[in-house]
Amino acid sequence: VIRLFTRPFSRRMRSGYRWLDERAGTTELIHKGLYEAVPEKGGWAYTLGSATLVLILLQLFTGIFLLLDYTPSFSEGYGSLKFLQDSDRFGAWVRGMHLWGAYVLILVIGLHMLRTFFSASYKRPRELNWVTGALLFFLVMGLAISGAMLPMDQAAYWTMVVVTNIPHYIPFIGDGIRNLWRGSGDFVGQTSLTRTFAIHIWVLPFLMFTFIGAHLYLLRRHGEFGSWVNYTTETDDPEKELGERIRNAEPPYPTRRTERRWAVPRRTVDFFPTQLFKDTVISVLLIAIIFVFGFVVGAPLSEPANPATLTYVPTPEWFFLPLDQVLVLAPGTYLIFAGVVGLIGVGALCMILLPFLDRSRERSPLRRPEVLVPGLFLTALLILLTVLGSNRLFNL
Amino acid sequence: MPLHLLAATPPLQPVPTSNVGGSIAVGIVAIIHVLIATFITGTSFLVCVSEGISIARDDERHERLAHGMLKGIAYVFGFGSALAIFWVIFILLGMWGIFFIALTRITFWPFIFEAGLFLTEIVLLYTLYANWERLRAYRRARFGLAVLLAVALFWQQFFIDVVASYMLTPNGGDTNQLAQILNPTDLPLTIHRTVGNIAWAGAILAAWSALRYLRAKRRDEDVRVDDAAERRSVGAMSATWYTEADGGVAAHAAATSNVAFFDWAGTWGAVWAIGLTMFQPWIGYSYAKEIQLHAYPAWYRMMFGDLSNVFLLQITFLGIIFLLGTLFFWRRMRASGTRGIRTQVVVFVVLVLATILAAMPARFAWTLPDVIAANANRPFWDGGLTNPIGTMIPNKIIALMAMMICGLISVTGVVRAHSRGELRWGDATRRSQYVLVGLAVTVSLMMAVMGVIREHSRQPFLINGEMTIQGQQILNGPTGQGQNTPATTNP
Repeated sequence: VIRLFTRPFSRRMRSGYRWLDERAGTTELIHKGLYEAVPEKGGWAYTLGSATLVLILLQLFTGIFLLLDYTPSFSEGYGSLKFLQDSDRFGAWVRGMHLWGAYVLILVIGLHMLRTFFSASYKRPRELNWVTGALLFFLVMGLAISGAMLPMDQAAYWTMVVVTNIPHYIPFIGDGIRNLWRGSGDFVGQTSLTRTFAIHIWVLPFLMFTFIGAHLYLLRRHGEFGSWVNYTTETDDPEKELGERIRNAEPPYPTRRTERRWAVPRRTVDFFPTQLFKDTVISVLLIAIIFVFGFVVGAPLSEPANPATLTYVPTPEWFFLPLDQVLVLAPGTYLIFAGVVGLIGVGALCMILLPFLDRSRERSPLRRPEVLVPGLFLTALLILLTVLGSNRLFNL
Repeated sequence: MPLHLLAATPPLQPVPTSNVGGSIAVGIVAIIHVLIATFITGTSFLVCVSEGISIARDDERHERLAHGMLKGIAYVFGFGSALAIFWVIFILLGMWGIFFIALTRITFWPFIFEAGLFLTEIVLLYTLYANWERLRAYRRARFGLAVLLAVALFWQQFFIDVVASYMLTPNGGDTNQLAQILNPTDLPLTIHRTVGNIAWAGAILAAWSALRYLRAKRRDEDVRVDDAAERRSVGAMSATWYTEADGGVAAHAAATSNVAFFDWAGTWGAVWAIGLTMFQPWIGYSYAKEIQLHAYPAWYRMMFGDLSNVFLLQITFLGIIFLLGTLFFWRRMRASGTRGIRTQVVVFVVLVLATILAAMPARFAWTLPDVIAANANRPFWDGGLTNPIGTMIPNKIIALMAMMICGLISVTGVVRAHSRGELRWGDATRRSQYVLVGLAVTVSLMMAVMGVIREHSRQPFLINGEMTIQGQQILNGPTGQGQNTPATTNP
């Protein structure tokens, strides 16, 4: 059908493409982008990375549409969203997609990190892949919480009050950070909103796309590790087998600066079409879920912000429930610092620096319990804290 | 429908006994019942884990363990179900009849689901018990049945937790079914018990394996001394009488195999016991917070009142559990000469200090002035504190954190030694096995103490704020609606 309709223009299109290709090298670029080897086993698990990228782009597009209506004003912000919700065609749907896109993105990026952790994909020479990925995770969380402060309804206002006060518990410099963010020490106001808005749409996205670029470059440089199951040897002479693998490897393998054993997967498939098909299926499925939830459930908009209220009980977004639970359980100024800033700060630092902390050569999860047991413990603790925190949502 | 209308029961003549006598009788039967029920629930989870591993890795040890644990569940269930019926029918109906009838009417549907799941449990458990060997050809189906059993037992626990948590936080007597299920302490209690049950099952497995290990070790030594000619012990004879050719060799092999198996099983159980207990401070803390926010007098009694001393005992038990776990891992690793023994020693010393710190009464501990002023009315971002354990902080928080981190290091150490193949099964010393028995005893005592604290925190109420032990009447009912029994008076 396409050929039928394009036949009259096909020659011109071909010559046009040739013109572009001679100047921009598009064919080579497409070949480089599509034809690379990926490990054969575990292809569905590797789709989480590309799904994360697709969801970030979806957030970018829906965010641009929201910017067409939203006014970052303490007095008019709520009204502009109310207009978008009630009077702008598809406005409520797009806003719902932005919210549900954020929820799904956090879930998917979390699963992607777990997959990378359990498969030891962060080990040499992929340490920087992990570091940039971990930073991206924190940037996504930062975008989520700064976005939750913008609608200027009760939930957003009180989220801003709580979150912008957290730096206060850091000794010596805490009040300075709080003042810088809020614009004034004790109260949130227009300056707080303006700065949070700037952080949400400029600062964090700029950093995020920088790190995405670095992450993708590193991925292409070292290739997808996959998991240890792709690297077992099948013959009685493993050294000979590994040598053959390295000699016959397809780009981007063999991975440089790693042991011979982990340099090339046993069997690979082409990124296009095998892996790209799986990536597309998962991404389309996730976008469909976001479409449906954005339309059916949408995004809530409660009462306009009222700083004078005495009855409103703020509740955090679900992905901050563990943090909120720790915050509630850690009593007193010093313990809030120790529990929330100290413990979570140290935890975050350990997470970012994981490849430099885990120096063992083993890749199978069962052979590296020194990271697997604490990792499982922390993952289970996060889930438990989320469930326990959600209990308060039912019993306000 | 209001609680006092649902609870309006005909006057009953209770069994003539004192309130103290009734409480003791109910307490004893309840604690035994809870220990058995939690063992069954927790062990069903471990059966699933072992059966799953045995399928995935073709591991005979895990299959044998799964079978052994399932048989254990079946035997204990026989006694436990009889006890449950005895407890429910004779003790509760006889001594606290008005309360129990009222409770049954209020939480009717959770009880109905509970009964339905009881039948499900019987069907699944005895299907597995009677057909374990026959189902060997259908391993995945057997695993599926084991998972179904664990799921059924979890829901059974969930529904009884609805009843138990409702008794502590009845939300002003709201009898709506959803309000009962979403009552403030239901979710924390369910999580607390689910995690605790598995830890408890692990501790019992460790103790049972320790006792079997000691017996197997004794037989092994007997057989080695006598080789094949004369057999001194009944155990060695019973281990060999069925062999045809060379009884001595077979007995030796069987005894050696048992020694290795029970050594491994004991360590496996201890890892689960300590590994799961690491979560309990967080979960228990959240549970206490909900009690503070929704049943303040009960919380006050636990943390500041006469039960605070019992709480000190309870946190001491917690410290001892971690201590015994680390002591066992240390001795077990030393017996095989693995790496990382020094770390276990350091962890042990830190745990001793943490236990002392945790068990320190509030008057001797360092406290923050604003902690004493803790109250739930002021939000934390306004300088207020929603701290659930009052003067127990910060020394107890620091101690609990230390216990969790030490437990994590200790468990990681022994699992790492195992993954490197450094633990030789059968090396364990006799003394290390006594430590495992001590661990199970301490976990049992802690569970009993925890139950005593929880049930006594709401006294004199059976349903908090609604019905007392003495009167078994509805306090907030309109005039004439309170159903006093002839033998009791208003408290």
